[in-house]
Amino acid sequence: MKEARVISPEKRIPEVPEKLFLFRSCTGSMEYPGTEQAVKFVLDKLGVQVVMDADQTCCSGYILTCSGYTPEASLAVTARNLALVEQKYNLDTYVFCNGCFGYNKELAHLLNHVPALKEQANQLIGQWGYNYQGKTNIYHVQELYYRLLDRIKAQVIRPLNGLRVGVHYGCHYLAQQYGILDEGDLPTFHEEIIEALGGTPVFYKERRMCCGYAVGRGFTHKESVVQPHLGRKFDSAKEEGVQLMTTVCPGCNTALDREQPQLAKRGFGPYNIPVIDLAQLIALALGAPVSKLGFNANTVPLDGVLDIIGVGKESKQ
Amino acid sequence: MAKEGSDKWDEQLYQKVDRYGLVSNLEQCLQCGKCTGNCPVAAITPSYNPRAIINDILAGSTERLLDSEEIWRCMWCANCYRVCPVDINYPFLIMQLRYMVLEKGYGLKYVLPINKFAFRALEEGLTFVPGQKGKEKIMRLRSGVDAAPWPEVSDRAKAEMAEIFAQTGARKWMEDLEKEEEKPVRMSYREGRIIHEGS
Amino acid sequence: MSDRAQKTALVIGGGIAGLEAALTITGAGHQVVLVEKSPQLGGTTRELYSSFPHWENPAELLQGKIDEVQKAGVQLRIGFEVISSQKQGDIYQVVLEGPEQKREELVADAVVVATGFELFDVSAYGEYGYGSYPGVVNTLEFESRLREWAKGESKEAPPKTVAFIKCVGSRDRSKGYPYCSKICCMITAKQAGLVKEIWPDARCHVFYMDYRAAGKGYEEFVRSVIEEKHVRYTRGRPAKILPEDGRLLIRTEDTLMGVPVEIRADMVVLAAAMQPGRGTVEMSRIFALNTDEYGFLEPVSGQAARVGERVFAAGGCIFPVENQGALQQGAAAGAGVVALFNQAR
Repeated sequence: MKEARVISPEKRIPEVPEKLFLFRSCTGSMEYPGTEQAVKFVLDKLGVQVVMDADQTCCSGYILTCSGYTPEASLAVTARNLALVEQKYNLDTYVFCNGCFGYNKELAHLLNHVPALKEQANQLIGQWGYNYQGKTNIYHVQELYYRLLDRIKAQVIRPLNGLRVGVHYGCHYLAQQYGILDEGDLPTFHEEIIEALGGTPVFYKERRMCCGYAVGRGFTHKESVVQPHLGRKFDSAKEEGVQLMTTVCPGCNTALDREQPQLAKRGFGPYNIPVIDLAQLIALALGAPVSKLGFNANTVPLDGVLDIIGVGKESKQ
Repeated sequence: MAKEGSDKWDEQLYQKVDRYGLVSNLEQCLQCGKCTGNCPVAAITPSYNPRAIINDILAGSTERLLDSEEIWRCMWCANCYRVCPVDINYPFLIMQLRYMVLEKGYGLKYVLPINKFAFRALEEGLTFVPGQKGKEKIMRLRSGVDAAPWPEVSDRAKAEMAEIFAQTGARKWMEDLEKEEEKPVRMSYREGRIIHEGS
Repeated sequence: MSDRAQKTALVIGGGIAGLEAALTITGAGHQVVLVEKSPQLGGTTRELYSSFPHWENPAELLQGKIDEVQKAGVQLRIGFEVISSQKQGDIYQVVLEGPEQKREELVADAVVVATGFELFDVSAYGEYGYGSYPGVVNTLEFESRLREWAKGESKEAPPKTVAFIKCVGSRDRSKGYPYCSKICCMITAKQAGLVKEIWPDARCHVFYMDYRAAGKGYEEFVRSVIEEKHVRYTRGRPAKILPEDGRLLIRTEDTLMGVPVEIRADMVVLAAAMQPGRGTVEMSRIFALNTDEYGFLEPVSGQAARVGERVFAAGGCIFPVENQGALQQGAAAGAGVVALFNQAR
């Protein structure tokens, strides 16, 4: 028997950080700028300080797997970003994108388990004074939300009034074999968060199913694979009456939100299920000004959903 | 086209594919099919079959794999790895198989559409930076939520990222891909009788 | 050499293997104290509704052995456990603990460990949802369901489809054990055949990676389940169970066809791996026994049943074993004790 598969929040994050390094997400900052703001709002409400740094680059994972170039470059990029966090801040690294999470974690694992790869990367980034030692732990902010669920619960001022929320965990989080929160094959922690916000979590059949956009398949196999795949996911969500879908990855959010009009053109749906980041939904429940959550970046409008929560008017101001 | 009489078999294929030692346990494969049963791509296009691809790599079927369109369908969700009873990291296997195939001029059309974003990433330190019009829209949206108009990535970050790509040879690899002549891939992965060399 | 005129063997575990060992030893004129920690004799066999390869009711076999044991004057300590032991020369001074912390000391000239196996906790497989989906059960839970069905004690509607998944916890280095639990293939065939016997209209699907039927009459048994009971075997290890409209959706690959398959069932039976029980681990510590890497007892090389100094083992504490094998091993362990005792004469 190997390591335990079901991990409690206390085991995953033994000590709640006072301060964390927030890893910028490219897609998050460009496709859905409201996401980063929502994450910061929620962390602030939870009493956790956030630092970010302009010297951080993209995690590079996406272009690694899409462009097919060999991993030396991405290993060095990862080592550089994480060394920056270690040397300058001595903090743990929190990401809010499953892509950043998966790639940073996998590549850090390689760096820490294959001495030759770490040496090679450190040699390269050493020219600028970086040295990656593997001290900073890599977490996803969703893990912290769940760890601090009591604090969230205590601060809900706009309950979701039973809004039927279908969650999307995203595979680059769940696919990690070991060391993630909960049980990756049968996770429930997102649903528990939705419940704490006063929503109705909907366990739709394909809630674990991938968004289909990873490693560039949205560019190369959109018609043959991605769209029929998404059709299956949304069909099962629609059947269960999902009114809103949440993600924890701006990449997944892009796939699930932007693809819906195109799915409709092909005869899938129409679904009209708005898709937002979990942080945006938590921020809404904790009273963030609707206009600052950036829902105008979404393709599928949130109007009906905001009415249910009772902030429909506010959003139009 | 049937593959009778093919001489393109290589018993060391499984080792050659695994150039970074990420799937050194490939021979532990039980051919149980959990990967394929959990694969969302196989559910839509069943001719793509992760279990069969592992089987073929172990058998050493170079020809059938190199020019196969199938190996480009994987979307890296890792549902296969998640349930594998022997922890074979199939996404890492397919990633490395793609390197091997690209080097031989196959499958370029499946990476070139993303290559331009990769080049842009070197200059901007961000992946998926759009063109000028897209940039303007992003700046508008960002300003609306009280964020800086453009994600703050320092010049230092951009310069160092570009250097990393240059010094590791990644940049050259990307440039060479653009110049390479593309060989056609086949959609008929599982047609034809299999005849092992020397059998 | 022990100078005690009347020798006593301590048999730990009252399953089929322990009972047979006790009978062999008393049959040769020696005394036996048999310790069973649960409230009844019978071990795992007591939980079975039928057996392979002859569809016999194991309750008859078991009751026969229990009657014989009582007739033979075996001293029974039901509800007792061995909690410590001290070896002094050729004897073990053993402390038992029974109901209400009642302690008892005894002297044993030899010991037979027959503590059986335990089922692997199949909730380790999140993809199968055991513990979350009510229709997903393990092997032994299903056995009692079969008994209720057969006796007409169950009020629930008969299942339309029952699916069986093999190798849950076995042949799995990731979540369970690399070994093959050896008897699950036969148990599954038996259970699927019984479903068809009780509910002839039900569909039965068995998902297998290989079916292993290496035993006298075993291959014929599995074939008869397929050919005469009409159970369908699909080669492939299911990847996922999802709840769907009150039923269970199973996703797998039919590896012989090379295509993904979905099947809906009302019930899914997980053939849980067998692992050494806590009792076995305890006994190996208390008596300093030979074990393998998993904690199963390991006979000393070249010996049928000896696992330590004057200690013998039989049954599922060595490795998963069916009734017939447990009987044989019980007899072998008993014979080992008898041979040891007779040397002193």
